[in-house]
Amino acid sequence: MQMILSKMNFSSWLKKLNSYRIFAPVKSGEVWSYELVEKPENIILDYPNTIIPPKKVLFPQREVLLEFESSSEQEIKLKEVIPEETPSVIFGIRSCDASGLAKLEKIFKGGFEDLYFSKRKNQTILVGLACNIPPSPDCFCTSVGGSPYSKDGLDILMTDMGDEYYVESVTEEGEKLIESAIGLFNDPEENVKKELEKIHLESEKKIKRYIKDIDKISSKLPEIFETEFWDKESLSCILCGICTYSCPVCHCFDINDEVICTFPLKGKRVRTWDNCQFPDFTMHSSGHNPRPDKASRLRQRIMHKFNYFNENCMELLCTGCGRCISKCPVGIDIVEVLEKVRVYEK
Amino acid sequence: MVKLDDIKKECKSILEEGKVKYIVGYKRNNNYYMSIPAFIEKIEETDQLIWDPTCVYNLVRFLRDEKLRKERQKTPDTRPIGVIVKGCDSRAINVLLQEKFIKRENVYIIGVACEKSGVIEKKKLRKKFNEKNIKQIEFGKDNNFIITTEKGKTTISAEEILAERCIECNNNTPVIYDVLLGEKVERSLSEHFRSLEKFESISTEEKWNFWKKELDKCIRCYACRSVCPMCYCDECIADSISLAVKPDTTAEEKAQKIRWVEKSPVSSENFSYHLIRALHLAGRCIDCGECERVCPVDIPLRYLNKKMEKEASEQFGYTAGLDPEKPALVSDFKDDDPQDFII
Repeated sequence: MQMILSKMNFSSWLKKLNSYRIFAPVKSGEVWSYELVEKPENIILDYPNTIIPPKKVLFPQREVLLEFESSSEQEIKLKEVIPEETPSVIFGIRSCDASGLAKLEKIFKGGFEDLYFSKRKNQTILVGLACNIPPSPDCFCTSVGGSPYSKDGLDILMTDMGDEYYVESVTEEGEKLIESAIGLFNDPEENVKKELEKIHLESEKKIKRYIKDIDKISSKLPEIFETEFWDKESLSCILCGICTYSCPVCHCFDINDEVICTFPLKGKRVRTWDNCQFPDFTMHSSGHNPRPDKASRLRQRIMHKFNYFNENCMELLCTGCGRCISKCPVGIDIVEVLEKVRVYEK
Repeated sequence: MVKLDDIKKECKSILEEGKVKYIVGYKRNNNYYMSIPAFIEKIEETDQLIWDPTCVYNLVRFLRDEKLRKERQKTPDTRPIGVIVKGCDSRAINVLLQEKFIKRENVYIIGVACEKSGVIEKKKLRKKFNEKNIKQIEFGKDNNFIITTEKGKTTISAEEILAERCIECNNNTPVIYDVLLGEKVERSLSEHFRSLEKFESISTEEKWNFWKKELDKCIRCYACRSVCPMCYCDECIADSISLAVKPDTTAEEKAQKIRWVEKSPVSSENFSYHLIRALHLAGRCIDCGECERVCPVDIPLRYLNKKMEKEASEQFGYTAGLDPEKPALVSDFKDDDPQDFII
C-alpha cells in the first residue's frame, strides 16, 4: 500500500492510534532518545539520531526475568515475570536501526526463542523514516548492505516529501495501521512516485563514508587474528562501553540476582546489557580473563560484527549507523579500522 | 603562543636520542575537526603531531595502560614514555606520583603552556556553529580562535567557546615537566568555582530533583571512569565480579565479595556509582573535565567533582596535584583539621 499523508494530518493519525503505546524520538537537553510519548502531537520527526538505538524498547537495558522468595529454609518460590503484551508503535525509526532490529530478531527468535524479546517484538509496529540527508557525517549504511530508505525490518516506511509524507506499508500490520485512519491518506500521483525515487537515489549519494571490499575484509580478519595489528589500533581505546551500548545490534547481556532482603530471602533475577569492552566481560570464576587487554577486546568487537556473525548468519552484525564513530571519546573509527585491515600486510 | 614546530622538534630529538619508548600526543582526525590521541614511535611520525584548541584529551590516562602492558611483558623496555601535557593534565601526573602509582623516571613530561587560552567545549561550539561544517579550529592572535568551515575562516573570541574548566583554571602552565614549551603567562581568574554558584544557591530538594533527573539518564557505559586518569583501581566497585579474583581464591572468599553496585541502571545504583566515584576523587580530581566531556548523555559530572574540590580547598586548604612530595589529602591529618562535618 502506498499513500500520501499531509504533514498537517500526521498528528491526527497519531491520535487515532490511541489504543497503542507510542514511542518516538524525544529531545532532552541536547540528547535525543526513544521514549514513550504521552502527547503524540508533540512528536518531531526532524531529528539527527538518538544516542541509544530503538533496541532499548524491545531489549531494555534492564529486564526482570523472575522473582524469588523463600518462606522457609526448604522452599523457594519462583515467579516468572513475562512482559505485558501492550500493542506499541515506534515512530521515526531510521533504516539502519530497523535493520538492526531485524538482526536482533534473528538472534532472539532464531534457534531458541527469547520470550522476553519476542513478546515485545510481536506487539510492536515499526514505522520508519527514510534519511533524505544522512543524519550523521559518519553514516555508512550502504557499505554494509543497507540503504537510507531500506524497508528491512520495518512495517511502514515514510519519506519526507516536503509538505507531506510518502507512506508505504511493508507488512500487513503496517497496512492495518494506515487503514485505521484511511480517510487521512490520499493516493499518490505518478509524478510523486517519480519524485520519491529521485529523493531516495539522491539520499544514497549523500553518504560520505564507504568501506571498500567488505567481503574481503570479512574473510581476511581470521588471518590477522594473532598479529600486532590489534595492539596498534587499540592504543587510544579507553575501554568504555559507549560503542557497544549505542550499537543497534550489540546484544550481549549479563544475568545477576539482585537480592532485596537476605532473611527471609527475597530478590529478582535481572538481565542487563553487557559489554565486551568491560574488564569483567566473560571473566571466568577462576580469575582467568579470556580477553585480558584492549587489543583483544577491540578485536572481539570487530570480529563479532564482521566475521563470526557473518559465518553463522551470512550477514554482517553492523548496520552502518555510525554511532560508535561519532560517540567514541577518543575518535576510534570503525570504517578506518576496517580499511586498515584491508591493506594490512603481516 | 606555543609553536607546533617546537613541539615536533622536541619530540624528534627525544626519539632520536632514544630517551623515550614512544610519545603520546595529539594528531588530526581524518574525518572530523577534533584531534585524537597519537602514539608516536618513529621520528617520521612526529610530523603527524598537532597542537590546537581541540587537544582536549588528558593523555595522562594512558600511563595506566603502559603500566599494565609493562607488567605483562617478560622483558619490558624500561625507558619512559613521553607525554604531552597541559597545565591541568600535569597535575594529574603529580597525583599519580604522590600516590606512588607511577615513578618519576617512568615518564618524560613535555609540558605545553595554555598561556592565555585553553581548549574548546563542544557544547558551546554547537550553539554557534553547525558542527558538520567545521573543518578545523586553530589558535589565533590575541586570545582568538580561528574556525575554518566550508564557507571560510571565522575568528571568534576564545572565551565564547572555551571550556568552562579552562575559564575556572588556575594552572595554565604545567606544574611539573621535563621540558616546557610556551610561556609562563599570568592569567589570574578569580572565577575558580564559578560553575558551582548556580548549583549551590538552590534548595536541598531542588538539588535532589536535579541529580535524580541527571543520574537517571546514566546508561552505565563507565566512560567517565574509563577516561579518568585517577580511576586506576585494579578492582572497581562498579564491576560485577571482583577483578582481584586469583586462581587460588576460594569459593567462600568469592561469595563474601561485597557487590557495592548492581549492574541495573536504576536510580539507586546510578547514585551509588556516581557518589562513590565522586568521593574517591575528593582531593584527587584535577578538573581536566574529561568525565563530563565523554558522557554520551550529558550528565554534568564536573559539578560533583568541583564541589569536592571546593570542600578540600575551603576545609583543608588543599589543592590536588600541585606537589608530589606533599602527603595526599585523605592520607594525612593535622590536629587543627576542621571537625564540623562529624555529626
